[in-house]
Amino acid sequence: MLWLLAAEFRKIVRPLVWGTALAIVAFCLLITWGAAHNAHAALASPRIPDVCAQAATAQCRLVIAHAHAMTRAAALATSALAQPGEVGQVAAGMLASLPGLLLIAMIAGGHWGGEWGSRTIRQLLCREGRRGRVLLAKWLSIWLAAVGTLVACYLVLAVAGPLIAASAHLPAARAGLFAGLGSSLATAGRATIVLALFAAIGTAAGTIGRGQLATMAITAGSMLLALLVAGIASVGRLSPASFVQAWMGFGPVGYLPTNFWSRFIGSGPSLGQLAGLIGIAGSAAVVAAIARWRFAADVTT
Amino acid sequence: MNVITCVRLAKRFGRTVAVNDLDLEVGAGQVYGFLGPNGAGKTTTIRMLLGLITPSAGQIRLLDRPMPDPAAVRLTGSMIEEPAFYPWLTGKQNLQVSAWTGGGHAEGEIIRVLDATGLSDVADRKVRAYSQGMRQRLGLAAAMLGRPPLLIIDEPTNGLDPPGIRDIRGLLGELAADGTTVFMSSHLLAEVEQICSRVAVIVKGRLVEEGPPARLGTARRRVRVRVRPADAESASHLLNRWPLRIETPAAAEPLPHPHSTEFVVEHDSGRDVNGVLATGGVIAESVTIEMPRLEDRFMEIVTEDAHVVAAGG
Repeated sequence: MLWLLAAEFRKIVRPLVWGTALAIVAFCLLITWGAAHNAHAALASPRIPDVCAQAATAQCRLVIAHAHAMTRAAALATSALAQPGEVGQVAAGMLASLPGLLLIAMIAGGHWGGEWGSRTIRQLLCREGRRGRVLLAKWLSIWLAAVGTLVACYLVLAVAGPLIAASAHLPAARAGLFAGLGSSLATAGRATIVLALFAAIGTAAGTIGRGQLATMAITAGSMLLALLVAGIASVGRLSPASFVQAWMGFGPVGYLPTNFWSRFIGSGPSLGQLAGLIGIAGSAAVVAAIARWRFAADVTT
Repeated sequence: MNVITCVRLAKRFGRTVAVNDLDLEVGAGQVYGFLGPNGAGKTTTIRMLLGLITPSAGQIRLLDRPMPDPAAVRLTGSMIEEPAFYPWLTGKQNLQVSAWTGGGHAEGEIIRVLDATGLSDVADRKVRAYSQGMRQRLGLAAAMLGRPPLLIIDEPTNGLDPPGIRDIRGLLGELAADGTTVFMSSHLLAEVEQICSRVAVIVKGRLVEEGPPARLGTARRRVRVRVRPADAESASHLLNRWPLRIETPAAAEPLPHPHSTEFVVEHDSGRDVNGVLATGGVIAESVTIEMPRLEDRFMEIVTEDAHVVAAGG
């Protein structure tokens, strides 16, 4: 199994994979940079109701003071979130939501669906005919590539976050550089579970799509469908997207978003974290069974 | 000992019967040719042997193990149709990936197969820059990794130039001499005739002939007789009166030639043909015996089978 994994890791180091991983890291940087500059702009000109723009009543003075306090608090929160300790929330949240899903769709498409597209699946199965092992190795390699991207994203943001906050002239965070590190690591740990689910979906999608583009489309499409279903009041709680939401505990986002997930999910009664984990495990089991069943079919490419 | 045994092997895709009641036995150390026209079921059979396709009926034993058995497949070197590789890796890296997937091999083994297939000089070049011939050699190199006792290869000389074909022929000969059993399908019948000790012909999923290449089919030796133009009419008369000619009246056909006329007679003995001409006072300028090529015999088998199917259908 270790040799098979070594072969999978040798194959996964390819331009498509590291290019997509770089794009995700760049996206996280861009989001952080944009958030810092938005917070700075808001600080310079807080949103004040038109009626109070000219008026100098006591009530308006209170409203204006409140607006200034709110924007300063938001800027402080953004600055704190950009510090090395906290910024892991951003990296983990991004990878456990749509950017991570897209990353895995790309990796699964190239690394797994591409085995059919380029017909290398024949050689692969003639060398290792135990198809369960092949599935396991594919899933592990896809998952670890995504976890590697999460780590890289965190490290890059940890270095760049404080510089971005400083360049945007945000107020200095009151807590230390590494405040919130434990919470960040816990979120990152939870994100790896979500990435494992996404990787399982990508692995199953490869056995169904049997081609690069089809695998990408099925991976991304199935979870996007789950997100849509999550918005339906009657069945939304049974959607894998709701399980991810509950497990990650995604909340409302500020200037610097910590996920691209919660905004797509309805605001109905949410599941608990344990229920989310059980849901993710159940979803992964169903996906694994589908992958096993589909992969047993004839290989005719 | 048989390294490949198929008993009443069949594969159906919906209503299409790709392989039908195929019985096959390949003994250890043989170079076995698996022939058939396009769509005959060769690749489907090879895929079933390698566990890529599940048979609809019948049994397979590979290396004396009942299939499906991933261990038997892992012990078998294989190359199916045009070999495929990871284009962003070098030739050597592709072999490493292949070796690691199968459980790992020493670095020396990779160097050995690169040397054997003449790819050492381009081993560090990305496969996307390889010609079709180089890819074919790399496919063979991958199949040879670990010195498997059985090689199953589909069209090993596809895309190779004549020197490349000769090299691969030599390589397969060396492998056979070392005791490796080679089961190969090919469209290059001249190559098969030179390399293979036994051949099987499959048409429409059924085995129609099996045996040593020289004994395949019923095509007979041919006698090519050349006479002076002045004797052509007499010779034609004599040969067409010959009893054997009555059975196959279309077999003697005059061919134009500037200084002589040539007749081709299907018969085992040049002496008989020359004797018939001599009794009529015709002196042959030359008498040449032609052995039927595998291609002729293959075409005869395939055409005959098509006629049988047409008559039956």
